[in-house]
Amino acid sequence: MKTSLPHDSSRTHVMGQSEFIDDRPYFTNEVHLDLVLSPYAKAEITKIDSSQALKIPGVIAVYTAQDFHHNYWGTIFKDQQLLADKETFYAGEPVAIIVANDRDTALLAKKMVQVTYKKQQPINTIREAIQKKSFIGPSRKIERGNIEQALSQSPQRLKGTLVIRGADHFYLESQVSLAIPKDNSNMEVHSSSQHPTETQHVVAHALGIPYHQVTCIVKRMGGAFGGKESQAAPFAAYAALVAKKLNRPARIVLSKDDDMIITGKRNPFENDYEVGFDNEGRILALEAKLYSDGGAYADLSTSIMERAMLHIDNAYYIPNLRVEGQVCRTHFHPHTAFRGFGGPKGVATIEKIIEDIAAIVQKDPLEIRKINCYQHDGAQSITHYGQKFENNVLPELFQELEKTSRYYDRRKEILQKNKIAISENKELLHGLSLTAVKFGISFTTRFLNQANALVIVHRDGTIQISTGATEMGQGVNSRIAVMVAKEMGIDPSQVLVTATQTDKNGNTSPTAASSGTDLNGAAALLAVRKIKNRLSELATHLMNLPRERWANKTAGLGTEKEIEVSLFDPGEQDPNKNADWKTGVATYFNMDFRDGFVSHVKNPNQKISFSDLVVEAYHNRISLTDYAHYKFSGLSFDKLAGRGNAFLYFTQGVAASEVSVNRLTGEIKVLRSDILMDLGRPVNEDLDRGQITGGFVQGMGWMTTEKLHYSANGLLLTHSPSTYKIPNIQDTPREFRVDFFQNDRNYKNVRGTKASGEPPLLLSISVWTATLDALRAAGKDVSKIEIPATNEQVLRAFYPAEFS
Amino acid sequence: MARNKVIFYLNGEKHEASGHFAQMMLSEYLRHQLNLSGTKVVCSEGDCGACTVLKLSPVTGHSRIATGSKKTDSSIQTMRNSFLPINSCIAPVATLDGCHLITVEALAKSKSELNHVQSKMVEHHGSQCGFCTPGFVMALSGLAEKRVERQDLSPLKEKEVRNALTGNLCRCTGYAPIIEAGLDLNLKNYQSLKQKFFRSQFQEDLIQSCKSPLAIKEDRLSVYAPTSLPELKRILKAEKQIRIIGAATDLGVVHNKGKTRLTHFISLHRMSELYEVSFLKKNMLKVGARVTLTELREITKEICPEFSQFLDIFASPQIKNVATLVGNLVNASPIGDTLPFLLATDAQIHTQGTSQKRTLPISNFFLDYRKTALKKNEVVTHISFHIPNYIKLFKVSTRKDLDISAVALAFSVLQNKKNFETRVALGGVAATPIRLGKVEKYLNENDNSEVTLRASLRLLESQIKPLSDARGSAAFRKLLVKNLFTKALTDYQAQSISSEVNS
Repeated sequence: MKTSLPHDSSRTHVMGQSEFIDDRPYFTNEVHLDLVLSPYAKAEITKIDSSQALKIPGVIAVYTAQDFHHNYWGTIFKDQQLLADKETFYAGEPVAIIVANDRDTALLAKKMVQVTYKKQQPINTIREAIQKKSFIGPSRKIERGNIEQALSQSPQRLKGTLVIRGADHFYLESQVSLAIPKDNSNMEVHSSSQHPTETQHVVAHALGIPYHQVTCIVKRMGGAFGGKESQAAPFAAYAALVAKKLNRPARIVLSKDDDMIITGKRNPFENDYEVGFDNEGRILALEAKLYSDGGAYADLSTSIMERAMLHIDNAYYIPNLRVEGQVCRTHFHPHTAFRGFGGPKGVATIEKIIEDIAAIVQKDPLEIRKINCYQHDGAQSITHYGQKFENNVLPELFQELEKTSRYYDRRKEILQKNKIAISENKELLHGLSLTAVKFGISFTTRFLNQANALVIVHRDGTIQISTGATEMGQGVNSRIAVMVAKEMGIDPSQVLVTATQTDKNGNTSPTAASSGTDLNGAAALLAVRKIKNRLSELATHLMNLPRERWANKTAGLGTEKEIEVSLFDPGEQDPNKNADWKTGVATYFNMDFRDGFVSHVKNPNQKISFSDLVVEAYHNRISLTDYAHYKFSGLSFDKLAGRGNAFLYFTQGVAASEVSVNRLTGEIKVLRSDILMDLGRPVNEDLDRGQITGGFVQGMGWMTTEKLHYSANGLLLTHSPSTYKIPNIQDTPREFRVDFFQNDRNYKNVRGTKASGEPPLLLSISVWTATLDALRAAGKDVSKIEIPATNEQVLRAFYPAEFS
Repeated sequence: MARNKVIFYLNGEKHEASGHFAQMMLSEYLRHQLNLSGTKVVCSEGDCGACTVLKLSPVTGHSRIATGSKKTDSSIQTMRNSFLPINSCIAPVATLDGCHLITVEALAKSKSELNHVQSKMVEHHGSQCGFCTPGFVMALSGLAEKRVERQDLSPLKEKEVRNALTGNLCRCTGYAPIIEAGLDLNLKNYQSLKQKFFRSQFQEDLIQSCKSPLAIKEDRLSVYAPTSLPELKRILKAEKQIRIIGAATDLGVVHNKGKTRLTHFISLHRMSELYEVSFLKKNMLKVGARVTLTELREITKEICPEFSQFLDIFASPQIKNVATLVGNLVNASPIGDTLPFLLATDAQIHTQGTSQKRTLPISNFFLDYRKTALKKNEVVTHISFHIPNYIKLFKVSTRKDLDISAVALAFSVLQNKKNFETRVALGGVAATPIRLGKVEKYLNENDNSEVTLRASLRLLESQIKPLSDARGSAAFRKLLVKNLFTKALTDYQAQSISSEVNS
């Protein structure tokens, strides 16, 4: 039986009543957009002829790059065309917008827009980009110790490369936007975006109107996973352009095919490494060169690379470490954020290195992980970028999971099973692996670590909150509502977190980096406490005032003196300061807010109902609305030096996965996964559990079956679920255990919680390493296995000669 | 007298759709014509299940069901009287003529009270972003309906829940909470939707209203749903070139992607003759063009369990509830999952042309990539295949379930008078599904004890020319075929040795 509150939209979700953008009934004068896409990765556009398309009944207009006031946008560098103008830089790049009275007409007519291209030679691989020095941003480096010396002195050394392929987000709701022109040239844009503020800015900039004339509204998204952090914006710009040109509401709803063809994926990486270690498997030095495929435009790739570099250590202390990172410019869709950002690409690399080391020193890889694990104190608790790893529970996590998952017993059983399988030539081999994650929580770009919240207490005692956090299924609204309700001692059903819109909360950060609740929840608490502080002071007055003299009875007459409260702002920046550590609740003027009532802590019997108190506040002209701004403190990461505190804290976890691998077909089956996560003190354990199972299975897909396949022209061919295979319900681990580690000591974050959005995804690496384990049992060379380990990859390891 | 309006019941209310709405996909019709936007569309190709609705097929008259087992016959009857999950995104409205439909909006007991499936999904956090949720709720309701129809209210098993939800993708939850919700269902607390929405007078009304066959003929639109063979023949003669739709699970996809327009078509779903399943002769089963793969799975459970189990990893429940063996055949894809089976069982194809009937052996059916021996306006009405004495079926795909195969292999032994003949058929290695004639000849002409794997593999390699594509490289496919064949042959040899020992 579940005890945590369900997601705030779950009832309407199961009834089919939750409104997504395309669920809105059409306006009678609404128009529909479709996009003409470039079939070539790199080509000169010599002509766009829309005359044939415009002849089709129902077609209204065709727009091209020339129709935008500004055709360039981009989160970090403004290097991306909204519509390809004179050249296309990736296959699938939008070239023109076609507008029709209905979708079917637009779909059929877009083929009639004749674009003439002069094909050029694209860059299709990371290695080619390196060779041609086709880069995005400068090379970055983070370094500690003396690599050359440490490597040369290491008893053992090995070199290798890990190839990591991309993956599609496969949010179920494809990119979508509805733009509604308002009077006085204002524009209302509904977008499925993790970043309403950026969408507002991109739209305004594209149309050449000031920011204050654009309101971006995000009610909810049908999944996002990073894919709507930057890349929702251009679609909003398309809809807004049409709405402005025609002065009619305009809607763009991408098909899954076009969505997958146009939008960027998880960045592919190719990581070269050389590692030095002793005969016990202790890592002494690591030199890693990370190259990512950024695609045609910068998007967020440089930040993604930075996070990869900051996660190359993962759970392990590496005394001498040099990591370099370079984003390559190729001619693919602009690759972008995807749950974990750069983290998994760094973590997978070190986990692969550990597998390599274990094979050489002939030890169980878990032993290698444990002897290299970060320690609680001393030099071995300092990361390669110089941040002390505080609240480190990794040694405890390893210890607990190896026990609860019966790791060593099962290791013996599997050894035995594989021995029999090999001697009797059976199809199935088994593999087992236990990996860890240490995930840094914060945007590595410091200024993004801020949030604001607006709180309105209504006179029936209900509360509306709006923040910059967007709801994409993760339950940020429910978490914020629960925190606020607890603070005010009322039922969570009395608290509503409303749609995110830029005219309520401006200058917000994307809901990303797992930080949605951390940042926005803290801001909401700080705002609520300002009101709580005033209400508490008011209550002290009311406790001594007979009810008949209360303002709601007398204010109309003006017979009583108005109660004034000091408009004292608690002024805290730290949501844990002045709050009781155990409950997380702050108390002012000794007033206790509980079960819908307010009383003095020393006199619980004299109670005022919360709603009465609110009404009194109103009649005494005490503000029931407030606003707060919050930022993470203590961040000091210097990007140029590669030094400093990059993160507020670390979410940690471990997972043990067992797989079977079929030697005839290469098929992998996940038999069992045990996960142990440290999420501090979860606000809502069941929502967190959903993040864990969801993130893990999502990652499993990337590790095994999700394969992006491109044509020679660079066009994505696996652009729908018939060819792009995310895990389905038959693929989840047959035995799937999720547990929480008790950790009451994360003083850095609001209410001692830890972020849960991205970290569990990185534990799916255990499925990949377990696959390597199974292959090694058959004596196979696993050094060339890529991510994902598709069945073809696996068969390549079993039968290398057949593929030569 | 023909009728120019599609008639169906939706959530207990009668609906009529005319003109071009007949060729619109049901999901689009629901979402933007009726503003029932609970039904979602993600992939428009039947691969994600977000658009799942429940369908009760029309009364199909007295189609013959004679599978050789009374129990199976009645279970097919029960199936045909149940609300089954289907993909509304690839279901043209015309194919729902005479049906009852239920959408997610109708499940809740009242505006404030959820039904049992919905409550369990909420309780177990089975929904995060909510976009796939209506589809899951409908598919899970479909499972509950099936059990109630069979009067089996025992607790659901995990395998059952997973199988019922194989056609639904979720990207948020990792499925664990959804499985938990399914396992926590207590069917005794579940109010059957059939009981709630199905009235005998509705059925009567539908029979009366739909008595005359559907025929919509407008400018650039011809949509038919004939109810008998003579009528079908008349249409085939009258129309210059017209598409035949079994369930549109493939054509619907092509239509949605703008690659073709479904504007001129005949839906076969009202023709009771085509729902027939019976034995043509001993060991030869005849299956009508409208017998669904779900039904076929049930029908072959005892008489050909290998094929029945193979159908478990064919498509999704939603697809199998409407798609047919004949549809898979005429689609003639080189990777059609059932085609190696049909090749390996010497299937025969029975057709109705504009004037006459004919029967074709499957060995002459596939001419080239997606080209068959069918003439213009010739309809496959039935297919018959031999129940093999021995058969092994294999399929390898990127993902085990609900995926199109990289390669598929069928290895069978058929009794021809006193002789036992081996058949080896493959999908995914040429422009059409193929038989390995040389390999078969070698196996059939040599005594089992003399047959060597090495010689067979050499012949096999000379016969296949796989391509590289998104599903795998040529080398990968070739290796798979070799591995699967090796397994098939060694298993068969081991089996025949042990049966010799036993006999």
